[in-house]
Amino acid sequence: MNASGYLLRLLSVSVAILVLCGCTSGNQNDLATDVTLTLNPSPPVVGTSSVSLILSRPDGSPVKGATVRLEGNMNHAGMKPSFADLAEGEPGQYAGTLEFTMGGDWFVIVTATTADGRRIEQKIDVRGVKTQ
Amino acid sequence: MTTAVEQPAALERQSFPANGERARGFDLLRVPLLGRFLRWRGSRLALQTPLFGLSLMMIAHAFFGPDIAPKNLAALLTWVHFRGLVVVVILLAGNLFCMACPFLVMRDLARRWITPRWEWPRSLRNKWPSVALFVAVLFVYELFDLFSSPFWTGVLIVLYFGLATLVDLLFRRASFCKYLCPVGQFNFLSSTMAPLEVSVRDASICQSCQSKDCIRGVQIALPSRDGVTGLNMELPVIQRGCELALFQPRKVDNLDCTFCLDCVYACPHDNVGIVARLPSERLTHSGPRSGLGTIERRPDFTALITVFTFGALLNAFAMISPVYALEQAVAQATGLRVEWPILSGLFAFALIVEPAVLLGAAAFVTRWWSGTREGVLPLVKRFSRSLIPIGFGVWLAHYAFHFLTGFLTVIPVFQNAVRESFGTALLGKPMWQLGGLPEAVVFPIEVGFLGLGLIGSWAATWTITGEVATSRRNAAFLPWAAVHLTLFVVAVWIMTQPMDMRGTFLGG
Repeated sequence: MNASGYLLRLLSVSVAILVLCGCTSGNQNDLATDVTLTLNPSPPVVGTSSVSLILSRPDGSPVKGATVRLEGNMNHAGMKPSFADLAEGEPGQYAGTLEFTMGGDWFVIVTATTADGRRIEQKIDVRGVKTQ
Repeated sequence: MTTAVEQPAALERQSFPANGERARGFDLLRVPLLGRFLRWRGSRLALQTPLFGLSLMMIAHAFFGPDIAPKNLAALLTWVHFRGLVVVVILLAGNLFCMACPFLVMRDLARRWITPRWEWPRSLRNKWPSVALFVAVLFVYELFDLFSSPFWTGVLIVLYFGLATLVDLLFRRASFCKYLCPVGQFNFLSSTMAPLEVSVRDASICQSCQSKDCIRGVQIALPSRDGVTGLNMELPVIQRGCELALFQPRKVDNLDCTFCLDCVYACPHDNVGIVARLPSERLTHSGPRSGLGTIERRPDFTALITVFTFGALLNAFAMISPVYALEQAVAQATGLRVEWPILSGLFAFALIVEPAVLLGAAAFVTRWWSGTREGVLPLVKRFSRSLIPIGFGVWLAHYAFHFLTGFLTVIPVFQNAVRESFGTALLGKPMWQLGGLPEAVVFPIEVGFLGLGLIGSWAATWTITGEVATSRRNAAFLPWAAVHLTLFVVAVWIMTQPMDMRGTFLGG
């Protein structure tokens, strides 16, 4: 194969990869839900923070019996995420701890699966985590 | 039949004041297997191909993947792995990124059908355009928080491909690399610290060389109308000479060298190698350099070195808490609610005022103490080369921090990209627990890089003092040593500060 044929094939394969990578589906919520996240201390500082989360429907009724997981990420690439599984106390109220490993802007991805298998996902910004 | 094109008479008359020494040391091109691979003319394309494919994947992920920087290949590979690997590879070997540059693949492909018609404008044949682009990239990086934006990172990569292709389809030779590319300029300056250099093996062979193929290339020779073999510039080039105008026998150091190895392939005497040398040993060369002139007299080179060095500190400073406190203080004092004027002021201070004061003062004191008659500005230009080692040390410490603390994160991010693209975890469940080395381990490495930079700058300064004050070298040395020490202390202070990487002006 000559060089131009090689490069054309290379380009074709690259475009195919590009199209393939483009077929990424986004996350969707299966249930209309209000998600309220509270951190203690607030504003949070580097280290372990207490987390409380309230899941409720638009009519105010709690979302009970869900499995809730938090994923904390910095907005900068190259940082390891922090994870936390929350336990339900009062109906619709979940609590746990999350570790912030560095000062700066973070965001938390809340992923909840309800008792009937529906999925809730929401991204919440946690800006300006302080360094002690 | 192949032969070289006619050469300018001036080139014919040149004799090379080379030292006649034969390079007897390590030569990468003589290493079994690796040397054979690099001597193969297709080796550059073979190195560019995977990076080109990776670039396309990054672009796709930037626009269609998760809009979360830590989970996006474009943001992660650009700002953590690419930057980190570039400086580490330069430190350990040389400018291998330019050798494998993916941005030129489209250019080389398009040049099979489109021949550039113009020469790069004479008034722009200097480093000023690349200085402007270098500053622009640093500014845009901070203003748009590119480190936290996969989309804008993707836009930057696409623009880079577009600009490189457009410029090199309009203008002959490697105009983009030589006059515009900010990454290239960064690599050129950094690779003065590299242990490898593309260089002639035996200068005496160049003395007797008639064809000068290393710079002029090799073209097909066709019979002319009178039957005599004729050559002209319109004939197809079968092997390029140096597109960056570096004539091997007169080439000094790695400045402007992309390690493309065109000179290696063009040399009919197999007299060009990739030879070992002491890092920075050619930085203090005084006098003309092929393709560059006398850099210690060029203000554009001084500006480039200044932006390279003080930009390193600025780029690192922008990642720690005090910068936000400073921005808030300025915002409160001025009532400004938009970032760009404040950022512009910060850039103006860091890249113009601060260097002007520090370098001007050092030059003034040098003149005063050493008794040299050289003016302040010529002294600044002469000694600016000594900033490169400490500047490189700061870039190395900063980028190595991100790379070493996060190099394994590419594994789960890639696993996640495959999972989201194909709907199934072909590479397994993402191992998000993977990170890198602990900060406590990386910090001594950072300080070590800074220390090496400081020593390198002092060594370069000592050599340069011999050019201006042979009898009072200490007097000429001390002011510049103080500048380097100041930069070193500031850099260490920055590295000891907790990282505070924010994507929002005034802390949101």
